[in-house]
Amino acid sequence: MSDGQQKKTIVVTRFDPDQDEAPREQSYEIPVQPGWKVLDALNFIKDEVDATLSHRWSCRMAVCGSCGMMVDGEPRLTCKDSLDQYGDTVRIAPLSNFPVIRDLVIETDGFMEKLSDVKPWIIRAKEKAVEEGPVRQSPAELEEFKQFSMCINCMLCYSACPVVANEPEFLGPAAIALGHRYSIDSRDEGAAERNEIFLGEGTVFSCSFANECSEVCPKHVDPAAAVNQAKFNAAIHWATRLVLPPPTKGDE
Amino acid sequence: MSPSTPGRTRTAPPRLPDKFPFEGRYRAYTLFDATGILYLMLGLLVLGSVWALGSGEAAWNHVQATYRSATYVIFHLIAIVAVVFVGVRFFSFFPKAQPPRIGPAKPPPEPVLLGMLYVAWIGVAGVLSIILAGGIF
Amino acid sequence: MKHTLLKLEPLIWLLFGQGIMIGTMLLTAWVLVVGLAVPLGIVPADALSFERAHMLGSNIIGRVVLLGLIVLPMWKGVHHMRHLFIDFGTGRDELIAPLLYLVALAGSLLGLIAVIRL
Repeated sequence: MSDGQQKKTIVVTRFDPDQDEAPREQSYEIPVQPGWKVLDALNFIKDEVDATLSHRWSCRMAVCGSCGMMVDGEPRLTCKDSLDQYGDTVRIAPLSNFPVIRDLVIETDGFMEKLSDVKPWIIRAKEKAVEEGPVRQSPAELEEFKQFSMCINCMLCYSACPVVANEPEFLGPAAIALGHRYSIDSRDEGAAERNEIFLGEGTVFSCSFANECSEVCPKHVDPAAAVNQAKFNAAIHWATRLVLPPPTKGDE
Repeated sequence: MSPSTPGRTRTAPPRLPDKFPFEGRYRAYTLFDATGILYLMLGLLVLGSVWALGSGEAAWNHVQATYRSATYVIFHLIAIVAVVFVGVRFFSFFPKAQPPRIGPAKPPPEPVLLGMLYVAWIGVAGVLSIILAGGIF
Repeated sequence: MKHTLLKLEPLIWLLFGQGIMIGTMLLTAWVLVVGLAVPLGIVPADALSFERAHMLGSNIIGRVVLLGLIVLPMWKGVHHMRHLFIDFGTGRDELIAPLLYLVALAGSLLGLIAVIRL
């Protein structure tokens, strides 16, 4: 370490469930290298300063969605953000709106349940026989939903959403975007089933269009667009069901 | 965002987003929701005015006189700012909220849809303003 | 009550959506002219004399427009107020939401009576 080495103070929210009543902050003054991401600073702290620090990370290239944290009050992917876009003091906390297991590690089970709740797979009324060949899809049909398939499940959108904070049953941006991605996929025939889910307990209509989810999404999925498109489709489905009875299984 | 069954270790409770509700981008969102109060008041004011119009000339003139008071003028100045703010914010979001297709029909491209919305806003508000102000009829 | 609210959410959302869109377009004119231009003397007061106002309002299109001016802002208003209560963590949505929507419903019914009796 030379005398001219740049230093930053990283203030990390710590929480040990066996010892701490509540989360607390701990400051680390560390030397930083040019070109470091925020994640590099955390890894340096863990490797060289305090091995008790716990945080999730994996790919280091913004595709796995593991390293989401609050950085200076904003939900960010720590492997994506350069450290030098922040000031001399950088505050890192676990993602908001999630229970905290330890330090920067959040409990994601609630989110995982919501993902599976929306039936995120192609639903066909009758499976096509293999001999009949694939279900074909044009590039234009792919473009209609492709954006919504780019989600990396990083949960930054849940962290930013003001509704998730106060309505625990709300399905949330990523789950609804994922369900909508399948409903508008030309190969899918399960839109009616998903609309019933979107009209249920986790209702899409809880969304108040804050648009925060789309603002923080690192992959430009625009979940707010998906959620509000889903509202429109669910409302049409609801209105249709008022007039027409639901089809019995096997009819479709 | 808690799971339906609790995990094995004690967890710290979820925290609200740091900047919610009055900092950063949340400020505009909270203001947008707060315009709901103004819209309800405006709806009630219009209701009162229409009721007065149906009650006779004296009642209507009383309403007109009330609107000339400083309180109501200030209220309506704040209201017009709020109405424009709501329109601009909502219209900016409207195009992306349209599904990629409705049956066989595709919505127009986003810039076209946005243009159509503003033309409709100016058109409807303009025509109604001219009528109310005595320009026609 | 929660189940009833869930069942009615799409209808409320549709009313709220039109409240924002059409309600905002109509309110722009109403606030500009009735709320500001006439009271401030920018537009002569006889534009909204009783005779003229009644003639405009009692026309079938006038009644529909006035009804829209009453109903649509109310539904947008109460729906956003409900979101405010939720966002500020007051809880009790099962109590607050029906109360707010009842206000809008009552206002809508009174609005219907008001335009009919013109």
